[in-house]
Amino acid sequence: MDSLSFSVAPGAICAFLGPNGAGKSTTVKMLTGLLAPTSGAVEVCGLNPTAKPLELKRQIGVLPEDLGLFDDLTVEEHLLLTGAVYGVEKHVARERTAQLLHALSLEHGRHTFAAACSHGMRKKTAFAMALLPNPRVLFLDEPFEAIDPVTSKIMRDLLESVARRGITVFLTSHMLSVVEQIATQLVMIRKGRIVWDSPISELPQALEQHYFDLVEAPVVEELEWLGSPQS
Amino acid sequence: MARLAAVLRALARAMGRDQKSLQSVVGNNFFIVSALLLQQAGTFIYLIIGLVLLFPLSTDPLRKIPASRLALWPLEARERRLLRVVSPWVNPMTWIIAGLALWAGRGKITLGLWALAAGLVVAGFVLSDLPFAPLNAVWRRIPQFPTALNHLIRKNLREMLATLDFYCALILSLMTLAVRAFGPPIPKEAFLALSVLVVLALSSYAQCLFGLDGRGGLSRYHLLPLRGWQILAAKDAAFLVIVIPLLLPVATLAGFGAALVALAIGHEPSVHRYRAQARWRFSSGASVMLGIGQAAVMAMTAAGISLTSVWFLVPCVLAWWISLWISGQIIDREAAW
Repeated sequence: MDSLSFSVAPGAICAFLGPNGAGKSTTVKMLTGLLAPTSGAVEVCGLNPTAKPLELKRQIGVLPEDLGLFDDLTVEEHLLLTGAVYGVEKHVARERTAQLLHALSLEHGRHTFAAACSHGMRKKTAFAMALLPNPRVLFLDEPFEAIDPVTSKIMRDLLESVARRGITVFLTSHMLSVVEQIATQLVMIRKGRIVWDSPISELPQALEQHYFDLVEAPVVEELEWLGSPQS
Repeated sequence: MARLAAVLRALARAMGRDQKSLQSVVGNNFFIVSALLLQQAGTFIYLIIGLVLLFPLSTDPLRKIPASRLALWPLEARERRLLRVVSPWVNPMTWIIAGLALWAGRGKITLGLWALAAGLVVAGFVLSDLPFAPLNAVWRRIPQFPTALNHLIRKNLREMLATLDFYCALILSLMTLAVRAFGPPIPKEAFLALSVLVVLALSSYAQCLFGLDGRGGLSRYHLLPLRGWQILAAKDAAFLVIVIPLLLPVATLAGFGAALVALAIGHEPSVHRYRAQARWRFSSGASVMLGIGQAAVMAMTAAGISLTSVWFLVPCVLAWWISLWISGQIIDREAAW
């Protein structure tokens, strides 16, 4: 990352966009205290993730790039573990677990071990873990990728609902059509540098075209052997 | 036939790579101490290791191809049948059993011994073809613990039960129990030695406590609002929950002290020298020298408790606690641990 500087207001849904390898996940790691920046300052909920890691972790919910699941825990056990270590009362954690499992259509797989879950189920589990402690800020690294359209819609509605209640959402995604529907702020990066930062209402053109213009233009190569007689 | 040959070649390559992972036994304290210190007297331990290794060695090679992929390949029914018949011969164990059958035919080994070896290999082959579901049922029955770290401890228990180390320790413990129940009286010193062996079988795991968590697990540890010492304590709790019952038939207190020092020595390599481990394989420690050192300190501790006083446990607990605290600080300090 190079000279990265931006701020996100409480209750905003900020989409952090860029091509693979641009530094989106690295930024999320720095914001969540998983990676210390070599220079500069990070502040989340008024806390420095390096100086006050534990205090910060109690205030945020994260869906990390690798989902952060344990192969030897079931879907439900992941949620109960989250409740217990975030200090959520047992009966409240059970209640929230049941609601999240229902809302995300995970009820049928609640006793499935993470190792045996489909990628979509794993993603939904990690998303539910991020929501369960009722955080002040949500960090979601590619939340909409590899999930079914219904769950995607449910997640979008949930995010819009939590943002209306003042929870800040910071997400990375390649699903520009989804981002366009829910984001209130857009930050685009290319090669570790910010190339666009504005409220979505200030976009001069459709998001996809703006992204192609500023971040990365698609280059389509013809594969001429496709469709030729089989060999 | 060209298609079948290509599949068999890929299968042989995958099987070879899989069996290479069994080489982790070379970095295991149980093996290191037997090979370097006990040498000929360690035959008994080699037998236990061999028995435990037999199961992963005997797996069905066809398991290496995901069922969905195998179904998609454009193979004819005749080729699929042939693949089923020929694929077991990709596994060297099949050739060994065939060789032993020839020996049995010539009277060089008894038919009973051959039947035992063949039976174990066939059992390993058949078990590897069963779905994971029966094991899931056992895994779910892991007891609950009255602490906020309950699910972490349960997860850690499941991880430990998925290493071959545990099964070596289990065999030793059950054999001692059988001798106690049905065999001649054994001198006290023998129980002391057996308790050290039981802990030794599990001690390599104490050097790679995070080896089975994978990258996802490690990043989750960093996201949870827990202190480093709490994360390590959940690991240690699972280790002790497994060790203590296994030590009941041997010298329990001496073994408990040895387990505490095994953990105390293992914390530092666990957090500083991360080594990914594989399920259903032996744990591989950080280094041979550390393994020997760990084994020596464990033996001295067990002897100290057994030959002097139970108060010898106090410095063991202290050493464990200090190590837990210091290594916990490393986890807290180093975001990229």
